[in-house]
Amino acid sequence: MNRYHGGSGLNGLPTSKMGGSLSISPNRGFQTSRSRLATRQRNKLLVKLAIIGSIFALFVLVFLPSFRSAIFSVFSLGLLSSVEELQLETVRYYDLSNHGGTARGWEKEERVLLCAPLRDAESHLPMFFAHLRNFTYPHHLIDLAFLVSDSKDRTLSLLSQMLTELQNDPDPKQPYGEISILEKDFGQKVNQDVESRHGFAAQASRRKLMAQARNWLLSAALRPTHSWVYWRDVDVETAPFTILEDLMRHNKDVIVPNVWRPLPDWLGGEQPYDLNSWQESETALALADTLDEDAVIVEGYAEYATWRPHLAYLRDPYGDPDMEMEIDGVGGVSILAKARVFRSGVHFPAFSFEKHAETEGFGKMSKRMGFSVVGLPHYTVWHLYEPSVDDIRHMEEMENERKNREREEKERAERAKKIKEEFNDPGSQWEKDKSDIEGISKKEEENKAREGKEQGPNAKAGKDSAAAGPAKEEAKAPAKDKADGKQVDSKEVKGESKEAKKQKG
Amino acid sequence: MPAIPRAIRRTNPITILLAGLLSLGFLAFIFSPSSNAATTSTAKRKFDSAAAHPLSPPTAPFQKTASSAKGKRPPPPVVHYHMNNLTTTSDPVANEENVLILTPLARFYQGYWDNLLALSYPHSLIALGFITPKTREGNAATAALQAAIAQTQNGPEEKRFASITILRQDFDPPIASQDESERHKKENQKARRSAMSRARNSLLFTTIGPSTSWVLWLDSDIIESPPSLIQDLTSYDKPVIVPNCFQRYRNDKGAWDVRPYDYNSWQDSQTAADLAAKMAPDDILIEGYSDMATYRTLMAKTADVTEGRDQKQSNTAGWGWRDRIAGQSRGS
Repeated sequence: MNRYHGGSGLNGLPTSKMGGSLSISPNRGFQTSRSRLATRQRNKLLVKLAIIGSIFALFVLVFLPSFRSAIFSVFSLGLLSSVEELQLETVRYYDLSNHGGTARGWEKEERVLLCAPLRDAESHLPMFFAHLRNFTYPHHLIDLAFLVSDSKDRTLSLLSQMLTELQNDPDPKQPYGEISILEKDFGQKVNQDVESRHGFAAQASRRKLMAQARNWLLSAALRPTHSWVYWRDVDVETAPFTILEDLMRHNKDVIVPNVWRPLPDWLGGEQPYDLNSWQESETALALADTLDEDAVIVEGYAEYATWRPHLAYLRDPYGDPDMEMEIDGVGGVSILAKARVFRSGVHFPAFSFEKHAETEGFGKMSKRMGFSVVGLPHYTVWHLYEPSVDDIRHMEEMENERKNREREEKERAERAKKIKEEFNDPGSQWEKDKSDIEGISKKEEENKAREGKEQGPNAKAGKDSAAAGPAKEEAKAPAKDKADGKQVDSKEVKGESKEAKKQKG
Repeated sequence: MPAIPRAIRRTNPITILLAGLLSLGFLAFIFSPSSNAATTSTAKRKFDSAAAHPLSPPTAPFQKTASSAKGKRPPPPVVHYHMNNLTTTSDPVANEENVLILTPLARFYQGYWDNLLALSYPHSLIALGFITPKTREGNAATAALQAAIAQTQNGPEEKRFASITILRQDFDPPIASQDESERHKKENQKARRSAMSRARNSLLFTTIGPSTSWVLWLDSDIIESPPSLIQDLTSYDKPVIVPNCFQRYRNDKGAWDVRPYDYNSWQDSQTAADLAAKMAPDDILIEGYSDMATYRTLMAKTADVTEGRDQKQSNTAGWGWRDRIAGQSRGS
């Protein structure tokens, strides 16, 4: 109705409230009444159309919320501009044949998933992140996935803090791709210290729990875009920065380097660490046939003498690092596998698969499904050396021995000093005595000269005290012999414990 | 003619005022923030719960635009997934448990998609995963699937699925034809089943995410299921459960009838165990062929097809894949 009044003035001229009446205003006096009627009819039609149209628009706005929001977004774009930002992508399309993995993945921008299972690993994290920063494979192509389980220390908080720092690094080459931290407890009973981890009795159940953890990690973190999966333990101390490229270049389905660990000099300087990478032997197959269906063979323990050729023992420090060796079981310290191996269903069996579990079972299953499994005997990664209880006891003994030796040395030095002092004292005494004696002898000579036939017994006593020097040297010699004997003893102990180490993993 | 203008002219200011107030009220209702809060807040909530970066689990959507003002996306954030809080219960709707529906797709049936859309489980908790072979048939199926997806994901908000992943197989299918007669030939079975399991594993391992509670395997030729399928199956609270699968057909008299379809859900028998013991290590037993009689108890044959049935099925040792739901199958 407002519109009707507003629109009733023709040509925008001011009209009175009675402007539409039959009274003739002076400036419209030339119009005929017929044409006025036609104009008014047209106006009325327009007004009706406008009213109907606006009512229809109102109905549409009231009853169709989607239309309303569309209109609203048009009006409010300048004010809120929220709808434009709230766009979600819900559909993803991937061709898996583009993510098969090739020898030169870094050139083809192939994505790698780096998986690291963690448990009470706070102390290893700084070392691990130093490795991460040094990787030469393009960081933005590597997705990191961590599974933190049953940790009682600050592993989780330290991990997320260090990862956040890494992602916010000002150097654009540092930040990695997708980062997932999965928290999942399995209620592990086995302690994570070296002794209980490597005890024979604990192995089978421990390996099954580890397998479960690895499967959870992989299934939650593997994406269609991944071409490679790299399993890496956080307690690797030294590894080439180019390890991903080095392993990738071989273009194998599953590949592992050799894993050794450095040792203190008294234990021989170095030692094979990962005994889970091996080639199958007839003895082991025969042994497997005698075992119960659910039994699990664990390598590296005297209880199961398998006589398998181990990757670790075949290392030659000067050998060709590119030399390959076909293996059947793999160790989990550093595995590079093509993602399609995992995509086709190979996993870490948490049950007895061909009498093996976890990474060894993974190797067996990969082989069974026709994938290539290869080890590099002369390409070495160094695992952190964590002294065992025996080692610690032995080191304590050595430390005590060292202290004893030091104390003895000190005592000996003191004794020598004392003796020397005693020796020096008699020296000065001797000088004194000498002068005294000389004085006396002079007197005596004088006396002799006076008495003529008297002998000097004091001179002979002076000669005896001069012989005390060599006696001190003699006292020193037995002490030295004793120390040498102890050194020989500790060398024997060293040899023994080296033998003992070889039996462990 | 002059009657109507006179009637309008006669309207007094109070009517005009009332009309003006009414229209103001309409305008206020239309453009008031409260009316939009409902739609924008769900959109906002959905947006906030989505991943901030395209590099994220495929079971959830991700934000299309960069959140930083610079226009360049910052490196992906550090994301925590609390898998200890991941539940699989008999009341998944109340606990907001995410379901992943996986389908190896060789042919697209509109009936399948319509049946999927009819599921009463909240679609915002459902992620879909498809894998299609790279054959001419597979390309056609993918195109049809994409068209259906585009329609659904741009349609009404409550029908949209949380996220959809389409994968293309990276290996060639062992048999070219997807015809039923060809697929079910016994000599084709081993190669077909092994390729099938590769496709299923590829699909499962790349799409299952850290927040997936349930996985429903639903074959692409399932065109009829109760809308409450997911709620029904999860209510039994079993790690793995499978319903019976039947096929509608025209019988001899030309009338519609039903018959059992899936023979792969069975209880093992001694005959089958003896048979298996005599086989070579790489041979497989296949169910449903007369020259390999296993005398197993088939679930399909035990079904009560009369009205008013609602019975819990006994434990089965082998599972048909028709539509099987599995809770967190990564255990081992």
